[in-house]
Amino acid sequence: MTRHTNLIDIARTPGAQTDYVAHLHKLCDTLGVEHATYFSANPVSGTMHGFTTYPDDWKEHYVREGLQDYDPTLRSAARSVAPVDWKRLEKDDNYGRVFRDAQDFGLPNQGVTVPIRGMFGEIGLLCACATMQASEWTKLRREITGNLLSNAVHLHDTVMNSDPLLKALRQPNLSRRETEILQWVAAGKSQQDVGDILSISPRTVEVHLRSAREKLCTISTPQAVGRAVSLGFIQPG
Amino acid sequence: MILVIDALNRHRFGSILDDMFKLRARVFRDRMGWDVKVRNGREIDLFDDLDPAYLVALDDDYNVVGCNRMLQTTGPHMLSDVFQDILCGEPPLRSATIWENTRFCIDTDRIKRKNDGRSVSYTACELMAGIAEYAYESGISDVISVVDPAMDRILKRSDNAPCDYIGETVQMGKTKALAALSDITEERINRIRTFAGITGDIFVDEDTAALAIANRDKAAPHMSPDLREYCDQQILEARTESEKAAALALQRTLSSAFSTEPNCDA
Repeated sequence: MTRHTNLIDIARTPGAQTDYVAHLHKLCDTLGVEHATYFSANPVSGTMHGFTTYPDDWKEHYVREGLQDYDPTLRSAARSVAPVDWKRLEKDDNYGRVFRDAQDFGLPNQGVTVPIRGMFGEIGLLCACATMQASEWTKLRREITGNLLSNAVHLHDTVMNSDPLLKALRQPNLSRRETEILQWVAAGKSQQDVGDILSISPRTVEVHLRSAREKLCTISTPQAVGRAVSLGFIQPG
Repeated sequence: MILVIDALNRHRFGSILDDMFKLRARVFRDRMGWDVKVRNGREIDLFDDLDPAYLVALDDDYNVVGCNRMLQTTGPHMLSDVFQDILCGEPPLRSATIWENTRFCIDTDRIKRKNDGRSVSYTACELMAGIAEYAYESGISDVISVVDPAMDRILKRSDNAPCDYIGETVQMGKTKALAALSDITEERINRIRTFAGITGDIFVDEDTAALAIANRDKAAPHMSPDLREYCDQQILEARTESEKAAALALQRTLSSAFSTEPNCDA
């Protein structure tokens, strides 16, 4: 089973930094799915964000019918800890209401929703779907879930940080260990070297780096080092 | 077998969750002496209101014999909000691919008195394999577990040693607590399974479980809630091992009397 992560940096998507739809299209191409949707509610400003690659006629229908109030891929999946395969939602009272219509519009039958819980109780949801046989879908879903999680948190952080108030509240809170590791990386040390210096396993170094990257809302370690320097957490290498 | 209960299906497993909260009271308050809030013999805290996922280990009769609780580290969780001592005041790890495992425990009393060949160690391994497999299937790369030193030894003994520890081991009640970090890989899953001799699918489908529990409860009329409550209370309030054994024997006798007696009122 392959588990690499292909993250697409929103900041590097051509055009404006907030071109989320283009970002989702790119994500679909990378993962081999047909459509992707991101949805979140900002608990501070009370605003909702939704971006999708779905065709316009479905978007219009969805909004006109107010399907977001019933859609189990959003409402039920938001309460899950683990990613939710849409098959699990078939028992939901509102499944038929949304999926019958979706079928009429020729939309995919297989999908997954990845929920991300934020620090303030806000929840970001990244949905991906495709038309294929169940067995084929199960295989694809397994391959892309880790990837979807990383993309979902990146999207969530970027969207949340677009609100100045939330951005102020969400100052990255790095631990001493994370700061120390970033400082050694800035000094040109490899993960193996850092592990040796700090007497911890390279795996633990990787876990701290992953945590630091997400706290700093960056994709790559060099970006995280750059941002940590600019925020004054560490000295330039 | 392992049953996954979360916000999407918890309405179907009220009695299982109730038994799980009672087990947690016995383990975390009575045995470990942790400062947990127990009401009516059930240990429930604010993280149980945040829609966690529970993995519940069930024996062949669908009795609760072990459990844990999973939360995402991107949102509120115990290491960020309650176990700061372990992290020495440092902010916790935060990643979409790291989950936190807390309230991890096994009902050693029930397994020992049932004597059906399943050992405490096997049940612990089944639950550990369940945690690793559920996390792996969900795209999770690492799990951080808050455990006491006894559970940490069980992890190591079961060929499921953590890769590292975060923060310090701190005194908590009668025991200590520490945060263990485990990578989630096929290799780890295979190690646990090989150690315990686990083969095949360990997860029970929620429809199968709900049906089996309903049938069991129909076939064996339960003691009245008052009587059940009384038995639970006696077990909880037992101060010595012999008092506890007597309370457990009373519960066993009463429940077997009720389950074999034909329903005369029908």
